[in-house]
Amino acid sequence: MITLNNVDKINEEMEYHYKKNLSLKDRLKRNKDSYSNFNKPKQPFKERVKKQWDRNAIVYIFLVPTLIHFLIFQVFPFAFSFVLTFMDWKVIGDPEFVGFKHWIAFINDKLAWRAIWNTILFSIYYIVPTMALGLILALIINSGVKAAGLFKGIFFLPVVTSFVIIAGIWGWLFRGTESGMVNYLLSFLGIDTQLFLADSGQALMVLAGLSIFKVAGSTMIYYFAGLQSVDRQLYEAARIDGATPLRIFWTITFPLLKPIHFYVAIITTIGSFQIFDSTFLLTGGGPNYSTTTIVFYLYQQGFAGLNLSYGAVLSYVLFFIILVISLIQRKYLGQETNYY
Amino acid sequence: MKKTITYTALFLLAFCFLLPFIIMALGSFKEMKYALLDPLFWIPEDPTFSNYIYLFNDGIFLRWIFNSLVITIIPVFSQMFFCAVLGYIFAKKKFLGREVIFWVFMGVIMIPQQLLIIPKYIMFADFGWINTYWALIVPELWGIMGVFLVRQFLQNIPNDLEEAARIDGANDITVFFKVILPLSIPVVATVGTFSFISNWNDLFQPLIYMTKEEMFPVTVGLASLLGKEGDFGIEMAGSTLSFVPTFIIFLFFQRYFTEGIQMSGLK
Repeated sequence: MITLNNVDKINEEMEYHYKKNLSLKDRLKRNKDSYSNFNKPKQPFKERVKKQWDRNAIVYIFLVPTLIHFLIFQVFPFAFSFVLTFMDWKVIGDPEFVGFKHWIAFINDKLAWRAIWNTILFSIYYIVPTMALGLILALIINSGVKAAGLFKGIFFLPVVTSFVIIAGIWGWLFRGTESGMVNYLLSFLGIDTQLFLADSGQALMVLAGLSIFKVAGSTMIYYFAGLQSVDRQLYEAARIDGATPLRIFWTITFPLLKPIHFYVAIITTIGSFQIFDSTFLLTGGGPNYSTTTIVFYLYQQGFAGLNLSYGAVLSYVLFFIILVISLIQRKYLGQETNYY
Repeated sequence: MKKTITYTALFLLAFCFLLPFIIMALGSFKEMKYALLDPLFWIPEDPTFSNYIYLFNDGIFLRWIFNSLVITIIPVFSQMFFCAVLGYIFAKKKFLGREVIFWVFMGVIMIPQQLLIIPKYIMFADFGWINTYWALIVPELWGIMGVFLVRQFLQNIPNDLEEAARIDGANDITVFFKVILPLSIPVVATVGTFSFISNWNDLFQPLIYMTKEEMFPVTVGLASLLGKEGDFGIEMAGSTLSFVPTFIIFLFFQRYFTEGIQMSGLK
């Protein structure tokens, strides 16, 4: 079988180099010639179909439905959403073309900009701690501790748990009364009872804390994979030179993880711009709009307020923000380091 | 010395990560009055099953669990199958437009799902799919990420086995079921575990497509419980019950989660 495979490969390669040096006209001529040269009788239609079928049946059977599904559930909604931003689309009655009305409304909508600012603020609270915690967890797991797999599982558990469950517990922990657990613990440090989710200055931070807890485990996995690919000899050389562990970390490990820092930063940023669940579950956007994020505002406008067209505008704003982040990723990372 | 610090940090962190789950489990055996008074989560003084009994007697909760199972299990198996076939097609088959189609698929990953939700809502309202399982099942029958994972996996597998089967006279369908599918069990399991978790835990989509209480999946149901002030014990019992399937999947397929996350950049 191996020889057969090789013959195939060699043929393919020869064909490639051959074709490269021929013009299209020559190639067409040669194709024609090759038929007559071999004096091969043209196969009957039925047989050709059968051969094609044996070779590629699976492509024809599965690709067509997939493409239709893809057009209906991905491509069409994407385009339709854009059209929607220029329409007044009531659920009942005919749609009406209104031009840039909703886009202009967006530009003048202070609350929308507040939502964008809140989301940026959320990213600030969320990205660096998530990365730091993920890196710390990965470093500990990677340092040769016993039962590393078990601990990896424990740190990963929140990633697979639904936001609803974690938010339920989080809301209880951060109750803004003396009987809340975090307040109770803080009282030992002599800190007054905090309002947490009811305080417009703190609510967003508490929600960021929830997300950090939820996502750090997946960040850990990326860093763990990165740490395992660092050349051990570098550490040994540094140790022989008498470097302290801290120095080894800052001069070797940390810089070598650069592609992973960048990658994790990008996906965490994208994730943070899509945050919805915790706001919806715990604060409802309040107090005083301090936790109204883009997606939550989209939900409020689009579904609670049934202003579907304006919701579509907001969703496109979200899309453009994420597009910019993705383009930065593409520019600095390139295709091949995109996926691990 | 260094070891002591490492292990102390490890156990402290592990405790912090497990604490919410311990609180959930213990809280589910607490009566409401204790749950609200006791700032710590210590073992309830008189543990009670009343919260669980309440949920089981209240038929709607079981209905939520059933809804979640329906909208999770069908997409899981469908995704495993279709992603395996499509991954195979994109990894091994030669046909016109293969690369273009694949990169269009991959480009669509960048579109946040929140963008599609409003047009999809209008579409589904037209189809009459609001408050039906169709709205949550049909769009999830296959996934681009799953196709990508299987393709990555199969590209690293030599063609020899497939060629051998072909020489023995196998056609496409036979090759797929007898050669490719058995080979790709690990990656197909990865696709399945991710599909399970994302469908079981999804809140945003069912929140919009399901407006009748009896059609809620357990996430939306729990969210509605959460809104009712003071039902902490019941809420935690509900959380615990809805956590059980996730936890079972997690115990059995943990390896696939971590591999999948490394391979794909999924979150």
